[in-house]
Amino acid sequence: MSESICVLPCNGLDKCAGDLSRRVALELAQSEEVELICPVLINQNKSRYEKALAAGTLTVIDGCNTRCASKLAGDLELAIKEKVNVSEVAKALDIKLGVEIRDDQDTQAVVRAVLEKINSSAAEQAESEFIEPESIEYNTFSHGKFIFKVPKANYFFNENDCWVTVSGNMARVGVSDYVQQNLSDILYVDPPEIGDEFEQFDDLGSIESSKAVFEIISPVAGTVVAVNTGLNDAPEQVNESPYEKGWLVEVSLSDFEEDQDLLHDCPAYFEFLQRKVAEIDV
Amino acid sequence: MSESTFMGVERDRIDWSPRIDFTKCNDCMDCVEFCPHQVFEVDENAKPKLKVKNPNNCVVFCRACSKTCGPDAITFPDKPETTKMIKAIRKAEKEAATDE
Ligand code: SF4
Ligand code: SF4
Repeated sequence: MSESICVLPCNGLDKCAGDLSRRVALELAQSEEVELICPVLINQNKSRYEKALAAGTLTVIDGCNTRCASKLAGDLELAIKEKVNVSEVAKALDIKLGVEIRDDQDTQAVVRAVLEKINSSAAEQAESEFIEPESIEYNTFSHGKFIFKVPKANYFFNENDCWVTVSGNMARVGVSDYVQQNLSDILYVDPPEIGDEFEQFDDLGSIESSKAVFEIISPVAGTVVAVNTGLNDAPEQVNESPYEKGWLVEVSLSDFEEDQDLLHDCPAYFEFLQRKVAEIDV
Repeated sequence: MSESTFMGVERDRIDWSPRIDFTKCNDCMDCVEFCPHQVFEVDENAKPKLKVKNPNNCVVFCRACSKTCGPDAITFPDKPETTKMIKAIRKAEKEAATDE
């Protein structure tokens, strides 16, 4: 593993879970590849960490479910690669943390479990990187004056016309060419929050044209890892390149195999869309 | 009939449509204006003016109109339950088909 990791811990000093996230971070910092990010400093002066963040991936440690660290990363528009929540790890171990800061067997066990979780997912890093495919081939069909494009392979669709394409444990979500043409000029993209966990068919924000608002209904379950910030200034990319540059949300998947049960592959969606377009117009 | 199935399951076997709480609804008709699928009907002379006339026109898993509703009068069935049910029907149908 040559890549470096930046660790942003919650650092909450007022209760046990926060203290544990600090202890985990300090353990991690013993490795040369790890750089700690102080939440207070980055909030004041983001540029201080710019180099480190550009060189490595970001792991966020939340103490409790207020998820201050995740939210901070979201507010600063940092792409989170990995997240752990100390309270959830403790809960899985059936350990009550409470408020009081303490160093005993229970808290040591939690620290160990969190470290294990981070290390094992570091081993999966290679797999958890979204790798853009070189080039995508399309099938097309026309209806009246419209021509609709659907990729030939590697995309999956729900019947709400949202797609997902998978790379390792990561995936990107967007809308199909049909949605984009239906809405016409997209003026505004309202993305979900980074760090949000969602189920299949939950909404993942929306996109808006002068004609309508379209809710993004997620084809998969997972956690929001990044949003396509390029669309802030250029929402028209969703029109111009709905399957590639116009992707909306990057997620880490929770159970794609299960999700696939209610998804179409490319040829099936191609057929579905042909039927749909034919029915709507008559 | 348009879109009579969702993932191969007949649309009328899937219970998904807006539920209006008329103790909250203020007759603003924003939802009617918002939804392009002719789910709602407005009858100026009826007691609640708003009616969910074509529940099966509602796009399965869409909840968009509830966001336009100021008084929060629109709710939907439980999504994980609905997902489970659709999966169960699909499985049963697949099994029935392979049994033949
Ligand atoms: S948007 Fe809400 S308040 Fe307005 S008519 Fe619809 S249900 Fe009633
Ligand atoms: S949920 Fe969507 S499709 Fe259903 S009534 Fe509301 S806006 Fe229309």
